[in-house]
Amino acid sequence: MRIQQTLEGGLRIDVMDGGDWNVLGGIPHDALSADEPLAERLGALINHEALAEDWQEFIVPDLDEAFRSDVAHVAAAVAEAHSQAGGGEGPLWITRDDAMKWYSALNQARLAIEDRHRFGPEEDFDPARLTAESGAALLRSMLYLNLQKFLLAVVMR
Amino acid sequence: MPRSPQPFEKHAMADPDTLTTTRQETATTLPWNVVVHDDPVNLTEYVTWVFMKVFGYGEKKAAALMMQVHRAGRSIVWTGEREKAEFYAQQLQAHQLRTSLEKVS
Repeated sequence: MRIQQTLEGGLRIDVMDGGDWNVLGGIPHDALSADEPLAERLGALINHEALAEDWQEFIVPDLDEAFRSDVAHVAAAVAEAHSQAGGGEGPLWITRDDAMKWYSALNQARLAIEDRHRFGPEEDFDPARLTAESGAALLRSMLYLNLQKFLLAVVMR
Repeated sequence: MPRSPQPFEKHAMADPDTLTTTRQETATTLPWNVVVHDDPVNLTEYVTWVFMKVFGYGEKKAAALMMQVHRAGRSIVWTGEREKAEFYAQQLQAHQLRTSLEKVS
């Protein structure tokens, strides 16, 4: 997989093979694997009695819909690009307008992975604890993180 | 700009209704803190970017608040009237930052 900036200020991801497509397809899969939806988790932080009920009723559903919509957008973009490439080598485009949706979906995916595997801060990380499953999850999380860094540095700034 | 609450002791003896009204006004005019908490996934550069985007803060101030979140685990990023505090909290949560609201006591 190779990532480069486009002239319009977006990103072009050159996907090399089926393995790359699997990794990209993992973004929505990981994002939707969280035990507790992100919107509910954030909503629980608004716990003052004067605000909590309205927040749960009005804000949390809106946030949940927006977060799910971001993941659905990424899933559709990957599926479309995968189809056009016939499952092999081909490009995947992220425009400036899409960047926030991608960043959101990647964040949700990393959060779900971190919740499940608890890798913790880099300085406390112990590779000896990795299983085959958690090692694969760590690699996906690192790839998502690097894609987020690209988006921030190149597209969202 | 919210009107400053008046001391209610003066009115309390003369008219109990005045006391009640003044207390309510005091409660609604207290400011609220918008608090952002640390989390395990958000990038420091992203948190700074969100503070700049949502509040219009300069990069230096946004980065300082981000560092406070990172080091202390939380930071009061804005203080003011309730309606605006709710709006900012919603914006920050929409950007997936762990945000709470606290009434200033």
